Amino acid sequence: MTADPTELGIPQDAMRRLAEMRPGQATSLFTSDLSVNEFLLVREAGFRPLGLVLGSSIYHVGFQVGRWNKNQELTMLSQAMYHARELAMTRMEAEADQLGADGIVGVRLDIEFKEFGSDLAEFIAVGTAVQADSGEGWRNNKNQPFTSDLSGQDFWTLVQAGYAPLGMVMGSCVYHVAHQRFWQAMGNIGQNVELPQFTEALYDARELAMSRMQAEAEQLHAEGIVGVQLRSHGHRWGGHTTEFFAIGTAVRPLRADHTIPTPQLVLPLTDR
Amino acid sequence: MAEWDGQGLPPVAAERIRRAAAGGAWTSLLSAPAAAGLESAGFDPVGEVMGSMVARIGWAGYRGCGGYGWGAARRTITSSDGNRFSGFAPYVQALYAGYGTAIGRLVTEAAAIGADGVVGIRLGQTTEFGGAREFTALGTAVRARSATRPGRIFTTVLDAQDVAKLLQAGWVPAQIVYGISVAIRHDDWATRAQASWNAGNVEVDGYTELVGVTRADARRLLHDSVRRSGADGAVVDDMTLAVWSVEPGENHRDHVAEATVFGTALARFHTGRVAPTRSLTYLPLR
Repeated sequence: MTADPTELGIPQDAMRRLAEMRPGQATSLFTSDLSVNEFLLVREAGFRPLGLVLGSSIYHVGFQVGRWNKNQELTMLSQAMYHARELAMTRMEAEADQLGADGIVGVRLDIEFKEFGSDLAEFIAVGTAVQADSGEGWRNNKNQPFTSDLSGQDFWTLVQAGYAPLGMVMGSCVYHVAHQRFWQAMGNIGQNVELPQFTEALYDARELAMSRMQAEAEQLHAEGIVGVQLRSHGHRWGGHTTEFFAIGTAVRPLRADHTIPTPQLVLPLTDR
Repeated sequence: MAEWDGQGLPPVAAERIRRAAAGGAWTSLLSAPAAAGLESAGFDPVGEVMGSMVARIGWAGYRGCGGYGWGAARRTITSSDGNRFSGFAPYVQALYAGYGTAIGRLVTEAAAIGADGVVGIRLGQTTEFGGAREFTALGTAVRARSATRPGRIFTTVLDAQDVAKLLQAGWVPAQIVYGISVAIRHDDWATRAQASWNAGNVEVDGYTELVGVTRADARRLLHDSVRRSGADGAVVDDMTLAVWSVEPGENHRDHVAEATVFGTALARFHTGRVAPTRSLTYLPLR
């Protein structure tokens, strides 16, 4: 930023625009859930924000307990966690579809267990619907707007590198990890030992979550999945029951080469 | 000291602004990067400004449960529905008046010291002694190095760095915009059945409707406020939702949701189709 802002007409033009502003003009307004950095980068990537889109579902999660000494998936809970997220996502996509969007960026998927009822949780998906300046086909093979949980910065980098997001893909597995049998637990006291059935349980649960996510990506004919997060949530089910949740953005190539200009090295003068 | 009549600024604030307008050293809430950012966009800080308002919300607009005998068509009643007895409209009006007055006083201070806008505004709401609520707005007033004055002082919750980036890319913040809605929904047989412990995996349609309708109303109000401002769009800064239950009668509960959306309306001043700046990709060494 070496150019003199006044030469570029920055405050002058901005102040004139504000002075000429009249309420209720017949322009198409947008709202967005993006930060300023994200907003500017999404614009630079060739997209215009259309509106904040949102889908929500308040869901009663059923009741299931695992056998005390058995490693097992709690399928009823897995289904609940998946179905409720799916409802929220579908409603968000429907809002974006109505706006005529090509995609949704910066999607946040949150779960909040509510205080006013036991086993009640709100599943919510929020993002910003965008439309491409170039009218190319950005929608996915289901003719839905693409969705992506990547930040505006990651989205910009992805598009620069010649990839397009297809959709958010996810897999969930709620797993009950067996308690140790009494003599087994007694035998471990004071020892540094691996607990093979615990290790195996966590492997199993993560594998199930990830393979479900992968299956979703295959349905979208994706080349790969980027930005995968593998989370584990205790929610409200006690120490031995955990949800393993895998989520990422499935992508397809836009062109053959995937290079971006070599980044400049900078030494920031701030400590953040 | 004479008692203040509630018009204009409180005497101490008026006195502080008179001193600030007379010249001398300016104060600001800016960090070093924020000050540098403003400078790069052609703005100078002129002073720290604030607005505050303490109000007592006596009547929330809620008596009895929402929608008893209102028919099955619509069970959620929002504060925008114009229902005097069960829609929480007076409560929401009080919140609007609180934020509106606090921001209005901040703008009055900014105008008195010759500012064009206020950046980095922090809005607050705290419950004070005796249940009274204080609404506050605190920010840094800035002035453009420009021959044109904006006509109306711009306000934004965005940091000065963000404001600088927007200006460099051809966008100017216009004003703080917000939407607040509170709604109540009568708990019926279906919600009770769907939310009971043995209901299994099932969506509780009634509660989904409640939060959906409340948020939709808050978003609509935000949109209206952007339209009234005359800007081109808005970036949302904060979106909240709270749900709680009330007991209007013996053995009966209803649910209330409060949704808020806060953001900044933006106006575009670059004329080309593409934003004038290009980002530089870099790798920080740290």
